[in-house]
Amino acid sequence: MEMGRDLALLAPELTLAAAAMLMIVAEMFRAARLVLAIGLAGLAAATILTLPMLSVDATVFGGTYRIDLISGWAKLILLPGTALSLLLVRAEIAGRRREGSVQSLVVLVTLGALMLSGAGDMMVVVIGVVLTGLGSFALVAWPRDDAATEAAMKYLVFGAVTGSVMIYGLTFWFGGTGSTLFSELGQLQGQTLVTIAGLIAIIVGLGYKGSLVPFHFWAPDAYQGAPVSIAAYLSVITKAAAFFAFAQVLRDLPRDGGWPLALAVIAAATMTYGYLAALVQTNLVRLIAYSSVAQSGYFLMGVVALGASGFAVPGILVFAAAYVAMNLGAFAVVLLAGRDLGDLEGFGRTRPWLGAAMVVFLLSLTGIPPLFGFVGKFYLLSAAVEAGYLWLAIIGVLNSVLALGVYLRLMVPMYRTSSTEHPSEVGAVLTQGTVVVTVLATLLIGLAAGILPGP
Amino acid sequence: MPLLTIATFLPILAGLALMALPDRSTRTAHAVSIAATGAVFLITLAIWARGIVAGDFAQVEEIAWIPAIGAAYRLGVDGLSLPLVLLTSLLFFLSALYSARIGERAASYVVLMLMLETASLGTFMALDGLLFYVFFEVSLVGMYFMIAGWGYEERQRAALMFFLYTLLGSLPLLLAIIGLYLGSGTFDMRVWVEGTALGGLPAMLALIAMLVTFAVKIPAFPVHTWLPAAHVQAPTAGSVILAGVMLKFGTYGLVRFAYQMTPEAFAQAGQVILAFGVVSALYGAFAALAQSDLKKMIAYTSVNHMGYVVMGVAIAALATEPRIRTIALDGATLQMVSHGLVTGALFFLVGMLQDRAHTRGIGDFGGLLGRVPWLGWAFILSAFASLGLPGLAHFPAEFQIFLATLNGMPWGLIAILAIVITAALYLRAIAGVFLGEMNDKWADMPDLDRREKLVILPLLVLTVLIGVAPGWLIDMIHTTMMGLGN
Repeated sequence: MEMGRDLALLAPELTLAAAAMLMIVAEMFRAARLVLAIGLAGLAAATILTLPMLSVDATVFGGTYRIDLISGWAKLILLPGTALSLLLVRAEIAGRRREGSVQSLVVLVTLGALMLSGAGDMMVVVIGVVLTGLGSFALVAWPRDDAATEAAMKYLVFGAVTGSVMIYGLTFWFGGTGSTLFSELGQLQGQTLVTIAGLIAIIVGLGYKGSLVPFHFWAPDAYQGAPVSIAAYLSVITKAAAFFAFAQVLRDLPRDGGWPLALAVIAAATMTYGYLAALVQTNLVRLIAYSSVAQSGYFLMGVVALGASGFAVPGILVFAAAYVAMNLGAFAVVLLAGRDLGDLEGFGRTRPWLGAAMVVFLLSLTGIPPLFGFVGKFYLLSAAVEAGYLWLAIIGVLNSVLALGVYLRLMVPMYRTSSTEHPSEVGAVLTQGTVVVTVLATLLIGLAAGILPGP
Repeated sequence: MPLLTIATFLPILAGLALMALPDRSTRTAHAVSIAATGAVFLITLAIWARGIVAGDFAQVEEIAWIPAIGAAYRLGVDGLSLPLVLLTSLLFFLSALYSARIGERAASYVVLMLMLETASLGTFMALDGLLFYVFFEVSLVGMYFMIAGWGYEERQRAALMFFLYTLLGSLPLLLAIIGLYLGSGTFDMRVWVEGTALGGLPAMLALIAMLVTFAVKIPAFPVHTWLPAAHVQAPTAGSVILAGVMLKFGTYGLVRFAYQMTPEAFAQAGQVILAFGVVSALYGAFAALAQSDLKKMIAYTSVNHMGYVVMGVAIAALATEPRIRTIALDGATLQMVSHGLVTGALFFLVGMLQDRAHTRGIGDFGGLLGRVPWLGWAFILSAFASLGLPGLAHFPAEFQIFLATLNGMPWGLIAILAIVITAALYLRAIAGVFLGEMNDKWADMPDLDRREKLVILPLLVLTVLIGVAPGWLIDMIHTTMMGLGN
């Protein structure tokens, strides 16, 4: 009885897991198109199965996995985002060695991301981190050249160390509460040292996933070494999942442990450092990588306000949805334009529609209304102000100006006259399709923000 | 009929339609632009005919937008916004007429102009804090691309400076809006203007944030430095819109947000705000005196004229007598409209001069009045209006502001000195360009053609009309300001 109910609630996850298995089987026959078809079908089915469950607030398997607002919206955000990523992967590496394996790994990593987003238990977080991590290392290493191998090694070592620190630190919380369930964290009231030990563990483990400063070092290298489509995927899906997990863990933690302040400092450092570093990049992928680091700081503003503002959870969800759309879109344009800043020279003039789309993505990343990114940032800033972190909101606002400086470095050359050729590449149709979907989302969902979760 | 919504979105829809057209030739683009802006002008006249009411917003249009946070699509007009709406639709229509000569990427230019018109009308008519901010920022993006794409030699740098400066300027407003929302639980500006959403320190912080934003936009000394650069590099129509319409966002916001939403804090800070107004008025005049470039000179006189507006609003907050407060606000609002008309005309005329001569230095000309009488007399009339001559548009406005100052804070009257300086600089410019020895280089300069006359005449007629018989406009403004003064 209980089991049946649990399995029914897990229908989206189970569907996706089944799809991933089938993809691996299809890959054994090297049927890349079939792998892609199964993946897309699985993602679509899981998305549809999620829709009727959005208002559910329940836990399954003895409270270890949560079916709630966060995990429901996480599925609605991550699954379509993964589907678009699969299209980009197809566009970039169609017909190359082990294309189907890459596709299967992407879906498996997304499964791990779902685990993180619904985690109600320390062990589920650990499984989620490991599942997303293992798949990601392999994805980064896929090109098999020196850069990719080095990036993947860095990523792996970083992941292994932070993962161990996290598991070690979580044992303190287990010791303090006698349970691995996050819902029991309220018992830590008063046990400051234990709270801090576990908190450091969580910040290290998930901060690495979400590329927070100072755990971000792997990100630019990994994005640069990996195929562009994989960089796009990792920059949105695993990162968003990390912040969903943050929300799941910290919403039960008493706010008097001082963690909001610690996270606020990290948030301020992350956004400032990310944009400052992005200002000096000449490689387009690295530039966007650093800008993604900065965006993590904004995510963290919502985490800081957990439990103190009704905007915190909606802010994280809305910003995640916006971020997935605009960052995937920007990467898709990079896939078409080229990996160097110089490749954008004159791009807006020779390819006016794609150029306009890129401008929309970049303005949305800056947070210019009425684009989707603005709505997310607005919620997050409101959350910070309401939680009493006005100074953090001010830093967030000042960084938006820095952000504009970063993104204008892309926009200005796009409209210069130049002789750079911008040939259509192979697989351009799929990439352009992704651009169309993401640009429509960026333009329109912000205007229809009433459909999104609110405080 | 939701006329406000139609007026606001007709331009951008026309722009989108133009993008979808298979034929995007220069001719079609300008035809669409003139037709759309002309239609919007007529619609705003219909809005005017419907009238406003005392003590509240009229013709409110409301649709739920983000119900969870109390944000809705809300538009409405009162005696503060309606004059600015009419000014906006007129200036955009005239700019569309003037711009019909632009051949370089005309379709994109027109789309940007139309987007700017939507953003400008929306900014003045929005009654929802979030919606206001959306329009406010969209106008910024539109103007950036306008300057960067169609400006003069140094346009990239000027556009960048404009964008960064005004974005940095507008973000504090976002924090103030968040504060007002958290204090009231809604984004409805009709609730906010009751002035009770915030009190004490939060109100003062919100006020400071708003003042930063609007001071950059107005622009007031010392955050005016983006203005000359942006103006000099912007295309003519861009300058007209920037000075005529977008500077009014700042003064409109000063009244609507700062004065109405945090009244107590505003009164406390009144002396400081008044001082900024006086310094801006004086500084703008002196800086304009030092310019040899006509466009830069006019740009600096904007700083001067907007300084008077700031003074008027500050006096309204400081004065204790309702009568004085109302006079000050009437004058400040009228000054916004007058400045839009007069400075709009001046920028058009300088643009027309530059189209012919490809230079704007006062010293490069001389004796042009005999050669191009239309252009010359139009410039002389506008210049006289700008320096505040009785019988022309600025006089009734500045008279009311100074009258209120005299009754409220007499020390502020040192700003009158600026009028003398403005008079001197305009006379010098007129003498240098239109009188004296004719420079032979311009012997075959053509006078205004029919289209250019069509652009400039309405502005001149209105300048005289407001100067001689301002009653029709002041009555509309007064309907609302009576309520604000009490």
